[in-house]
Amino acid sequence: MNQFFLLMKKEWLENIRNYKIFWIPTVFVLLGITEPVVNYFLPQILESSGGLPEGAVFEMPTPTPEQILIAVMGQFQTIGIVVLILAYMGTIAGERKSGTATLFYVRPLSFSAYFFSKWTLASIISLMSVWLGFLVSYYYTFLFFGKVEWVNLLQLMAIYSVWVLLIVTFVVTASAVLPNSGLAATSAFAAYLLLQLVDGLFGMNWSISPVKIPQYAADCLTSVPDNTSLWEAIGIACLIMVVLFGIGIWAAQKNKAKTKV
Amino acid sequence: MSIVEVEKLTKHYGRETAVNELSFALEKGTATALIGPNGAGKTTSLSMLANLLTPSSGTIKMDKKLSVGFLPQHPRFFPWLTALEFTEMAAKLSGIESKKARIQAIRTLEFVGLALALQKKIGGFSGGMKQRLGLAQAIVHQPKLLLLDEPISALDPTGRREIMNLLKLLQQETTILYSTHILNDAEEITDQLLFMKDGRLIEQGSLKDVKKRHADPHIRIRFENRSEALAFAGRQLCRTELKGDTVLLPVHENHPSMQEVLQVLATQSQDIKGIEFQSASLEEIFLKVVAAK
Repeated sequence: MNQFFLLMKKEWLENIRNYKIFWIPTVFVLLGITEPVVNYFLPQILESSGGLPEGAVFEMPTPTPEQILIAVMGQFQTIGIVVLILAYMGTIAGERKSGTATLFYVRPLSFSAYFFSKWTLASIISLMSVWLGFLVSYYYTFLFFGKVEWVNLLQLMAIYSVWVLLIVTFVVTASAVLPNSGLAATSAFAAYLLLQLVDGLFGMNWSISPVKIPQYAADCLTSVPDNTSLWEAIGIACLIMVVLFGIGIWAAQKNKAKTKV
Repeated sequence: MSIVEVEKLTKHYGRETAVNELSFALEKGTATALIGPNGAGKTTSLSMLANLLTPSSGTIKMDKKLSVGFLPQHPRFFPWLTALEFTEMAAKLSGIESKKARIQAIRTLEFVGLALALQKKIGGFSGGMKQRLGLAQAIVHQPKLLLLDEPISALDPTGRREIMNLLKLLQQETTILYSTHILNDAEEITDQLLFMKDGRLIEQGSLKDVKKRHADPHIRIRFENRSEALAFAGRQLCRTELKGDTVLLPVHENHPSMQEVLQVLATQSQDIKGIEFQSASLEEIFLKVVAAK
């Protein structure tokens, strides 16, 4: 436990001193602002970029505030996830590759403390960023489009957090298993796309698929989500995370031989 | 009493054998130099002792609780930590309790000569400072066994001398195993020599024993010209070697002594230009042993 807190402190200093703690939230805040603002000013933007051809009739329905928040989540799902993967792909693999890990590995290091210190900090920063992004977009959506019940927003954020944790767990584990950051990022992203694809093609009836968690989160805004399926999907996600923890700790220990001496 | 016993230690990488049946023991409180050309398997051996690599076969017998300090050949640090933060962290990770860790870290950094850089970020350190910091993290928890991979090779002569002096001080408190290719320096702090080549141990023993086996001492007498040398050599009873205008008299167990040779020379008429006692340096012995096996 002592080692866990000690290593947490190191991760904390690292995230502050290489500015991750500032730029990751910034990305999510920007994503959160752009969606409502662009939607609100769309008519003016079209006008200033030359306008529509004469005679064109174009009915632009005003989106509902719920639709805006779901669109924000869509942005998080693509750009946001890529940013998180890139930010934490090297958290273990990078230390091994550069050799900075060597001076830790020659000590009586607890690899579970090592793994969880990295996972915990990556999780904290990712969740804070996502929450901050949602809150900012909630504010602008409220300004421009109207009110969404804040209870619904909290539900959305809580459920989506499980999905973010799953992604973070996958990246940190990939970083422990694979020999370098590039491979870790590629495999995490490939797995992400592949799961989306498989779930989209064949998973119509897989109500407990964790890939559907973001969808359930979105449902909180528009309708009442299917609670049983939701909890089952979250349960499966937690199970996957526990398995990934095991693999990650085991791989981090096994791969200590690969650190640059 | 030996604190580490290595027996038939072997490491394969695919078909390559990096370390091949290495056996030796480290006596408590001694300094051992691991010497060999590049690619001899020194770093691999040290990595196995530091528990970074798992041996393919063979055993390393040492107390599980034995505290070990390790300095890699090119220690790499997190540039965004300060020297004190890093050293303190290293101490704590090695099991030193929080209160003591900081004091211990400051003391160690002062010992290696980084007293003025305690609060500086490692990112701005020079190569020599990083090597000192590397030594600091290796000794901050006062390990019973200190493993150093080429601790002085990357340093300039002044830095090398300073680190050598630190190692001499450490030698009094701990057991040291270090690899090096700077043999004249190695001679100063060595109780045991291990010569490695192609993963194998090709010679081992105390400095004295190894020198005895390979130093090949002789007395070298240079004459005015070759005919004079020839005249002198022809009259000697012991085996002599003639090289141009120089005669080499091999010395076995202090015989013949310089005294005896001078007495003989005094009775003869040849013109002598020079006379000296000669024995191979560690470097020459190393080159000879490596070339032979």
